[in-house]
Amino acid sequence: MAPATEHADAATAKAPEAPRAPAAAPAPAPDPRAQALEAALDEVRHMVAGCMQCGTCSASCPNQFAMDLTPRRMWRLLLHGYADEVMDSKTFYLCSSCYGCTLRCPRGLPLTRAMAALKRASILRGGPGQRRHGAFYATFVDNVRRLGRVNETDLMAHYFVALRDPLAPFSFMPLGLRMLAKGKAGLHGSPQRGRLGPLFAKVREMEEKP
Amino acid sequence: MNKSYDALVVGAGIGGIRAALDLAETGRKVVLTDTRPHIGGLLAQLDYQFPNDHCGMCKMLPLTERDSSSQFCMRKGLFHKNIDILLHTDLLELSGEPGTFKAVLSRQSSFVDPEKCIGCGLCAEACPVSVPHEFNAGLTQRTAVHLPVPHAIPNHYVVDLDSCERCWQCHDACPTRAIDFRFSERKDFRILVASPRPDAAERLAGWFKHQNFPFLHAKTGQEALDTLAKDETIRLLVIDVRIDDPDAERLLERAQEIRPTLPVVASCPPEREHEARALVDLGARDYVVGPLNPATLVPWLDKLYMRLVSEERIEVDVAAVVLAAGFDCYDPGDPLHGAGQTLGYGRLPGVVTSLEFERMCSSTGPSGGRLARHDGQELKRIAWLQCVGSRDLQKKADYCSSVCCMISLKEANLARKRTFGRKGGPAECTVFYMDMRVFGKEYQSYRDTAESNGVRFVPARLHTVLPDPDDPAALRVQYVDDAGRITTETFDMLVLAVGARPPKAMQRLARAAGIETNEWGFCATDYFEPARTSRVGVFAGGAFGQPRDIAESVIQSGAAACNASRLVNLFAPIKDRGPEPEPRYRDVSREQPRILAALCSSCPTLDRALDVDDLARRLEGVESVVRVMRVDNACTGEGWKAVAEAAAELEPNRILIGACMPYAYVPRLRELGAAIGLNPALMDVVDVHSLVMGAMSTKHPTDAAVRERAEEDVFTRVHMSLMRLMGADPSPLPEPQEVTRAALVVGGGLAGMTAAMAIADHGYPVTLVEEAEHLGGTAMKLRRTLSGQDPVRFMEDLVGQVTRHPNITVHTDARVALSMGRAGRFFSVVSLDEGSAPVEHGVTVLATGGHESRIYDYGFRVHKSVLTQLELEQRLASGEIDASALSGVAMMQCWRSRDEHRNYCSRVCCAGMLKNLLLLKERAPDLPVYVFYRDIMSYGFSEQYYTKAREAGAIFVRYSPENRPQVEFEDGRPVITAYDPVLAAPIRVHADLLALSTGIEPNENWELAEIFGVHLDANGFFQEADYKWRPVDFLKQGVFVCGLARAPGSMGETVASAKAAAQRAVRVLSEKRLVCGSVVAEVRDSLCSRCGRCIDVCPYGARSLDLDRDRIVVDELLCQGCGSCAAACPNGASVLRGFTDVQVMSVIDAALGNLPTPRTAPAPAAATPESDPEPATAAPDAADTGPTEDPA
Repeated sequence: MAPATEHADAATAKAPEAPRAPAAAPAPAPDPRAQALEAALDEVRHMVAGCMQCGTCSASCPNQFAMDLTPRRMWRLLLHGYADEVMDSKTFYLCSSCYGCTLRCPRGLPLTRAMAALKRASILRGGPGQRRHGAFYATFVDNVRRLGRVNETDLMAHYFVALRDPLAPFSFMPLGLRMLAKGKAGLHGSPQRGRLGPLFAKVREMEEKP
Repeated sequence: MNKSYDALVVGAGIGGIRAALDLAETGRKVVLTDTRPHIGGLLAQLDYQFPNDHCGMCKMLPLTERDSSSQFCMRKGLFHKNIDILLHTDLLELSGEPGTFKAVLSRQSSFVDPEKCIGCGLCAEACPVSVPHEFNAGLTQRTAVHLPVPHAIPNHYVVDLDSCERCWQCHDACPTRAIDFRFSERKDFRILVASPRPDAAERLAGWFKHQNFPFLHAKTGQEALDTLAKDETIRLLVIDVRIDDPDAERLLERAQEIRPTLPVVASCPPEREHEARALVDLGARDYVVGPLNPATLVPWLDKLYMRLVSEERIEVDVAAVVLAAGFDCYDPGDPLHGAGQTLGYGRLPGVVTSLEFERMCSSTGPSGGRLARHDGQELKRIAWLQCVGSRDLQKKADYCSSVCCMISLKEANLARKRTFGRKGGPAECTVFYMDMRVFGKEYQSYRDTAESNGVRFVPARLHTVLPDPDDPAALRVQYVDDAGRITTETFDMLVLAVGARPPKAMQRLARAAGIETNEWGFCATDYFEPARTSRVGVFAGGAFGQPRDIAESVIQSGAAACNASRLVNLFAPIKDRGPEPEPRYRDVSREQPRILAALCSSCPTLDRALDVDDLARRLEGVESVVRVMRVDNACTGEGWKAVAEAAAELEPNRILIGACMPYAYVPRLRELGAAIGLNPALMDVVDVHSLVMGAMSTKHPTDAAVRERAEEDVFTRVHMSLMRLMGADPSPLPEPQEVTRAALVVGGGLAGMTAAMAIADHGYPVTLVEEAEHLGGTAMKLRRTLSGQDPVRFMEDLVGQVTRHPNITVHTDARVALSMGRAGRFFSVVSLDEGSAPVEHGVTVLATGGHESRIYDYGFRVHKSVLTQLELEQRLASGEIDASALSGVAMMQCWRSRDEHRNYCSRVCCAGMLKNLLLLKERAPDLPVYVFYRDIMSYGFSEQYYTKAREAGAIFVRYSPENRPQVEFEDGRPVITAYDPVLAAPIRVHADLLALSTGIEPNENWELAEIFGVHLDANGFFQEADYKWRPVDFLKQGVFVCGLARAPGSMGETVASAKAAAQRAVRVLSEKRLVCGSVVAEVRDSLCSRCGRCIDVCPYGARSLDLDRDRIVVDELLCQGCGSCAAACPNGASVLRGFTDVQVMSVIDAALGNLPTPRTAPAPAAATPESDPEPATAAPDAADTGPTEDPA
């Protein structure tokens, strides 16, 4: 839990003013991207405002072991106004949308939706954190778009490239070898290549329309 | 002619009982109903109650005129001369206007004739059915014919028709033929079937060959109506929804017009079920879905028949109605809304509800009170999970159930106590909570006790329970601790603190009573008048309007009773009521004891177990017994007449009845006493049946030794009672005391004014004394309530009403200087500006109020930016503070309270904070607001405002008393540094304003406490007689307390306590004269050494040292005959009338068989030796010369 404490400590140092004070944004020419990001985060804040910090989400999250912030602490940071700490964490990228927390939250908060909204906000924001934590998402979707289904070998190759980390392939080596041995990862091409192209095009078209 | 009552009280739980008693004690006739087959409601299942982990229900029994009701365990039964109890009864309809309501009640039959049932249990032995027993929360099984509760008196068996298999074995097994399934009347139960099917009736007749119901057939609706119009013997109409001309709905309507009380049922094919349901909404009783088959239809219709013929429809005229149906516990096993799935309830035997745990602790529970894991292992670790089914938006419960925190604390304490001294050490108890809502008086210290007893508190909410892989009987849970670590723990048992839900039949009851419900299904009530419902004349008592604990339910019921009493008073003023005819008893103090004994021989048990004639002969040999008669059915009017006749003939001065269920005879004894002019205190009923019940259930009731033993037991028991009666003090009661029918109310705030109004409305003059210049008190300072009402207008109205009321004399700028006297007759002096005024009054209500406490800390009164919540409220209301101009607001809860300074929760501050917070957020939605709190006490329905506040964006930061937020000031603006447990890091907040929740402190009360001889608690509030059961009484009778002087509370709660206190006061004033009980203590002055020990031990403050006459005096009205003084007195100078030493010693001798009795029976000698005549004479001697043994 060291990283979380660090985040919070950093937050402390950075919290001289009451956060989210409306007057605290005297930027002369507001960047439309930043505005969109702020709006997206506000939407998430709204979703989780009713949180009473019971920790049900954190304790019931199956991926919690891999997260740097527990979901509870992440909501809390967001409500306190520490958006950067939230955006730099990988917690929401690890959400596998199992809906366990949403189902159990006694306040009835749409937590899985909030997680997805954070992913979208993170893409909007960009930055090194997003590139690193979002790399898998981007590669995965791209893989599906191109090949019509997931090809593990192709996916991993692109993922390693996207990570820009020469050491990353080595950490996945044992898993990769096991998958190869079981025939779960092959070098064969996909017969479905390009099949989902029209679907992606349609989605993009719909997204671009207001 | 309907039976007429002053009030109908629906629900015979603790709330209903309180309301009924409050009304009955003022002489109102009350009918008390409950849908369950027993009284006591939920509390019948709870054996232990905070704060002393005892029951204490009996403390609610009347203390003044206590002979008017039976004085014994209230869990067993309630007998009051003005209360008629109807169990198994539902309210069907309430029509009419306030004051002249007409209520239709429906009483279900238990199919067991209570007059005949002797409770032998042979029916239950024969019954083959086994279903979960509701009383033990489903932990044990019961048969279809069963005892609903083990302890009720009289306790009759009840047939649960729903689970009955119609084997009739109980009917055959019953020795007294008490079970009646109405077999013989089936042939007269004519059923009209309206169905287009041509063979409908014949087919049914074929199926019901054995039942022999006569079926009639109508092919069209019109034909059915014609038949109904001319044939009055039709008892049931079955409508097939496919009927035409007219259609089913129209037919139902017309049939109801022709025969309004005719039961109608519908039948339908599966695809048209909705139509049948629509018919039920229109008033049909039930419906059955086809295709019909005899295997299900026959039992269904047969049971319906039995219900219909045995149900009783009761119409009563009532002036007012009090609804006190309480609440039900949330069922986590509910397939739709249950939380049981993830929590393992119903799947893992170690997961239980708090109610089930309560039963496990009970000695009448499934394990006889032994706590163990379900596999028999020792319980080592127990956890409580709070808020199961409450504060949960997903379960449609955005409210706090208010009672579960204290129940869990009590259970945890109890578990520690129960397992203390065990080899492995006491069980580890953990409570998982979100906010520990210890908002009541003394709750905080109870929590502290729990903590010091080793109960662990973890702020977390558990969500999943799985069996432990290493020990499948144990349970493994996972939660996130404050540091954010996932923690896994194993427990042997998990107790789900289940929340409250409206009673199951709430919607039906609401429709019948014509009241509105709120969004959660509880009764909708008025904010300032929480006892008022949406219908005038119908009041909400107990926990009907909001989940409440015992103390508040009792207060709420008092308020409801007061409102009802005010309404009744308009029609039948108490003041104008003539004195009740007082029975004249002849003076028998100079007569030798002459005892008439009657043995009830209606039940075959006694005859079978022993030789009654022999027993009677032996009893006749006992000294002073003039006759032993045998009565058939002492419990019926006929048997009673025989006793009365014998009494008239023999003129005995003591009467002893040997029967069953002695408590039930109290009203009878009173009647008999009035008829033959003998004080009922000289009569007694002794239970001779339950003694031989044990002998009956053994396999050999004919065995001579068993019979011998049974006879000896019964003889001893009767002999003991004879001895007690013989020693009973026959001297007449002291003269009753005249009551001054006026009241003094001290304090002119909300509580005082409300109490004054309530008493004055009953027609009694009230003197209201207010210290300040104007009426109003603390409530005058409020500007808004949490739910948005206008307190200013309410208070101004109230002040106007009080000042204009013809019966109220207001003294402002005044104080009570002196008071003397006792309940019914006080004499006080009020000092005024222009001298002093004497006041004579019968009761006193202390409502001296409280104020916002002021402790100068955190820059309060140094920096302008620091203010109290009340000041913030006022400045927000006046516009002095502009919310939109602020850049941040911080609020601090529990400021210097719930700690060593003032160890109680002021309970109104959280609501006050939420109120201001929501107003700020309403005016400036983007304003950052930070709240530093320990536990948010938004109990009951105020929880929704807590949810709203969070949703509005306020940030709540919990702090612990060890780690309080620090406040510094930069340019006069507060900067708060606090530790955020969720971030596990400190945060700093800059704000423009810091609002402190300062809490409520009582006003200076010690002087008044001394003047009126009452006590204060550790925090300076008045100390009530009993926190739970007598919340507005003092131990000293005739003095009552309400409002903030008793405990902090909201305006609604203050009004409720004021009305409850007023009702208690009216109870005293309603008498022209007060009579003491027959068992009171006396002082034998010549033996008394004035040591004063008795004064200290008297729990009622009834004893005092009269300095003028140099003797200890007993206030006979205050004395409750508990006998503490007699036990404490070293000289035997303090004696209890009706419990003298001689009497008690001879009863003991009788019990031991030490008294000589001439045995006239030729039966072989039993264990009792006839020798040893010594003790008989020795005992009185010893007593005469003063007791040799010190009873203390």
